[in-house]
Amino acid sequence: MVSVFDVVFPIASLVAFALLTIPVFKLFRKTTHKTAMALVWFALVFAVAFAGVANLAIQYYQVPIEQSFVNITLGSTSDAPSAVSGTFMIDAISVYMTIIMVAVSAAIILYSVLYVNPAERPSERYFAIMLILVAALIGAVCAGDLLTLFIFWEAAAAGSSFLMLYRKSRQSINATLKYIVMIVIASAFIVFGLSLVYGITGTLNFWAVKEALMALGDKSLLVLAFIFIAAGYAIEAAIVPFHFWLPDAYNAAPASSSAFLSALVDQGSYYVLIRVLIFILTPTAVLDWRLMLAFMAAFTMIVGNMFALIQNNIKLLIGNICVADVGYNLVAMTSIVPGVVGVATLGLQGNLYFFLIGGITTALAFMVVGIMNHYGFKTMKDFAGIGRRMPLSSFALLIAALSFAGVPPLGGFMAKYLVFTSAIEANYAWLAVIGVLMSVVQTAYLFRLVNVMYAKKPADDRKIKEPIKLLIPVFILVGAIIILGLFPNIVLDPIQRVVEQFPFLP
Amino acid sequence: MAFSLLLVFLLPILSLPFVYFAGKKSSKAAGTLVGLVALANIGLVLSAVPEVINNTVYTESYTWISVLNSHFSLFLDGISASIAIITLVLIVAAAFFSIRYMDGKKNLPVYYCLLSLLSVGLVGVFITSNFLLFYFCWELMLVPAYFIIGGWGYRDSYKAAFKLFIFTHAGAVFVLLGIGAIYITTGQSDMFAAQTALLNPAYSEIAKWILLALTAGFAVKMAVVPVHMWLPDAHSEAPATMSALLSGVIISAGAYAILRLSLVTVLPAVTLNDLAFATSFLHGLAIFGVISAFFGAFIALVETDIKRIIAYSSIAHMGYVMFGLSLFPSAIALALAQSSASAGGLATAQAALTLTAIVAASVAVLGTVLHILTHAVSKGLLFLSAGSVMHQTEERDIRKMGGLASKMPFTGVSSVIAALSIAGSPPFACFWSELFIFVGAFEIIKHDGFYTLPTVFMLIATVLSLAYSLRFVNKVFLGKSKPESAEESEPEPKKKIWDVPHSMKLAMAILVVFIVVLGTYPAFFINLIKAVALI
Repeated sequence: MVSVFDVVFPIASLVAFALLTIPVFKLFRKTTHKTAMALVWFALVFAVAFAGVANLAIQYYQVPIEQSFVNITLGSTSDAPSAVSGTFMIDAISVYMTIIMVAVSAAIILYSVLYVNPAERPSERYFAIMLILVAALIGAVCAGDLLTLFIFWEAAAAGSSFLMLYRKSRQSINATLKYIVMIVIASAFIVFGLSLVYGITGTLNFWAVKEALMALGDKSLLVLAFIFIAAGYAIEAAIVPFHFWLPDAYNAAPASSSAFLSALVDQGSYYVLIRVLIFILTPTAVLDWRLMLAFMAAFTMIVGNMFALIQNNIKLLIGNICVADVGYNLVAMTSIVPGVVGVATLGLQGNLYFFLIGGITTALAFMVVGIMNHYGFKTMKDFAGIGRRMPLSSFALLIAALSFAGVPPLGGFMAKYLVFTSAIEANYAWLAVIGVLMSVVQTAYLFRLVNVMYAKKPADDRKIKEPIKLLIPVFILVGAIIILGLFPNIVLDPIQRVVEQFPFLP
Repeated sequence: MAFSLLLVFLLPILSLPFVYFAGKKSSKAAGTLVGLVALANIGLVLSAVPEVINNTVYTESYTWISVLNSHFSLFLDGISASIAIITLVLIVAAAFFSIRYMDGKKNLPVYYCLLSLLSVGLVGVFITSNFLLFYFCWELMLVPAYFIIGGWGYRDSYKAAFKLFIFTHAGAVFVLLGIGAIYITTGQSDMFAAQTALLNPAYSEIAKWILLALTAGFAVKMAVVPVHMWLPDAHSEAPATMSALLSGVIISAGAYAILRLSLVTVLPAVTLNDLAFATSFLHGLAIFGVISAFFGAFIALVETDIKRIIAYSSIAHMGYVMFGLSLFPSAIALALAQSSASAGGLATAQAALTLTAIVAASVAVLGTVLHILTHAVSKGLLFLSAGSVMHQTEERDIRKMGGLASKMPFTGVSSVIAALSIAGSPPFACFWSELFIFVGAFEIIKHDGFYTLPTVFMLIATVLSLAYSLRFVNKVFLGKSKPESAEESEPEPKKKIWDVPHSMKLAMAILVVFIVVLGTYPAFFINLIKAVALI
């Protein structure tokens, strides 16, 4: 059975390690092998974190499948969810999200250590914040009431600004300011919405809220609360038309931060969106807003891809792909109808698979572009003929581009297949058609990039010595994309438990 | 053999590192290795053929994505076995041809690896019955093709490759929608299981959309007018080996997919509920076929670029195949099925069974599949010959050629054989297939008067194909040899033109043998194709 310890341990250990990172790095700075020492340190951190997460998973999988979630209350021992209390809730989705958060962040922190030199002065804070963000995200995906979720999630969202701000260029300060303003507005909206929900239901615990809302007669207040909460999370998940902060912020941040944000914080925001809006507050049984969701998905896909089409700066282009990815995720969300027996559940499978694949593909793209930026290649023009000058990095970017375009056997294909199929399942065939058309647009601009990389003559034909060490985490992700594309059952089988539990949801 | 089809998949993939490192030493070794792997694959496919002829189908299935009800299921029936064999023959020819043809080009190890990878997709498309696996192979045909055309092609090759990629990928996403919809409606990811599952009156409406999406997607690959725009560029800018594979197999894969997925898997469901729609759908295919045949033939008649002539002739021939597909005898099958259904009430199973019997007996389907085979070898040979001509003369404008037959006798003879086959003259391969298509057409006309006019037009198109084939042979190989660049004032040392090296001759000889054998003794493939598995 899952105990408080099992849930708190990964979070607390990551926070403790984060705090320790600052003095430890100062110690390392006196030695000669700073990078090696930093790597050993993070190996230790992630060994402990993995152990914690593995323990959580093992404990959770001993729970019978009929019990769709485990409620863990801090403080009081009684099982009854108290009105306002710090509670955690573990279900198969949280376990899955926790695992991918830790696994993906390990690869990205490996890259960051090699990318951001640990000898650099405030770098210890940078890594400490990364660890704290992972802890906050794990807290958010394990949260069991709306307040706990809010606290952990806002910690992650607001904490992200420090990652963007690192190296304090003029551009990054501007972008971070924009981001912080958006996040503050969003959290104000959410708090207001949550207070309304608390007023309506008298509780903040997930399932208690849901139960109360299912029995609700007059829904006018709920609609108001929904509008505020949905707007708040839409800003944080960068749904069109609230997406403008995202490409700028990811462009201005160092590549390791962009990779981290796109692979973890972005995916966390989709999780929050699904959990709060689709599972708890406004499932279709309470408020049917799937049509609105479908429109938002369509607009987000169109705007993201169209803006990417006209980008000349490669990092901005990938930032816009992140926006398009939000759209694809929303497409899958339209078909999630929790708690209904007999409805196929491809949408949730698609979402959960997309969390992983979309995350690592954007992370991979940002990592490679980060390497290329390092040598001064930033725009389409600079990328001309780079395929011959930096063959390994270009190959990795090619794999990312093919995965984005949805070319099998890469992971992106299976993700898109699940997403578009789930739209048909939700009876939104038009959304699937828009999706595949946008996918063609996406292929067009990605292959324009591939064309530039391989077909154009470079201005300078000399080969560049590629940083082999930095390419190790890059090729770990390349391998992951290929293997998960060929054998998607590695991910889909664990997700299957989520689907099997659907009928048992309250 | 137990794992023979799985080995067909794995052999080229496992050979990749060997091909790469052999290519680092000498391109001859790499080319030979790719050829030998393809030969081994022919052996593996042939080992399953006896079982195909006895039981009509040979299957292998392995666990894959159980969550999506998808198994790694491979099958072989008469149609897929025969196309897979011809595909592998073309790959062997292309590999041997490459050895000298690609001499002196850069990055050859990568080229041979891509060729090997391409062969997985090319053969895989024909031997998988799982939709997802089919789509994997479908796109695996595309990505290596993009890089081969782009990296080793002529002139503005990346632009042509880009066009190829965007067009066919756009088609492919509609295929993806179609197979996704099949999975959603029936829960099946296997084409044989889906066929039976779709035969449910409740699915009639969505089956129409699936049919249209799949067919539209495949038609792009087939390069039927009006979605042919990618083909002339891609075929003419690609290296000759890739042109041969593109024209011989890749576009035919579109035809095969329409036959296997649109017509056999989905059309019965549509026919069962809405005969009028199904009939007009088939009529539409016939019209597109006729338009393509004429369009391709007319442009081939006036084009002056040696490879573009052949490229447009491919569009024309895909018109034939499309016309052949439109003769799919679903209407008759349905009439029989309905009468038996009203009599016994065993609608679905019986309809499917009747369909199998009728399709197996249908001369039109036989002709269509045979035409895919004969066109593949003929067009492959024609592209290899054109590649030889370009390789030796470094010229691609047929107005500047002439009299090459005396200088390149082997290439000349093989080109004439290929061109005559394309024109449909006996005793070469395409004669039989065109004959069967027309016999099939006359058979259908008895039931459906609509086909009279298209059949007449197709017969006229045959004359046109003879015209452009003879024009091609005349201009390039016969007549007087043109003086090298008459306009140029300064007399440069005249380049001596001689026939191609032996390895390239060997590659062409393989295809010549197949054209002649298919033309004089088509019985082996006809018997094989008749062992057709439809449920």
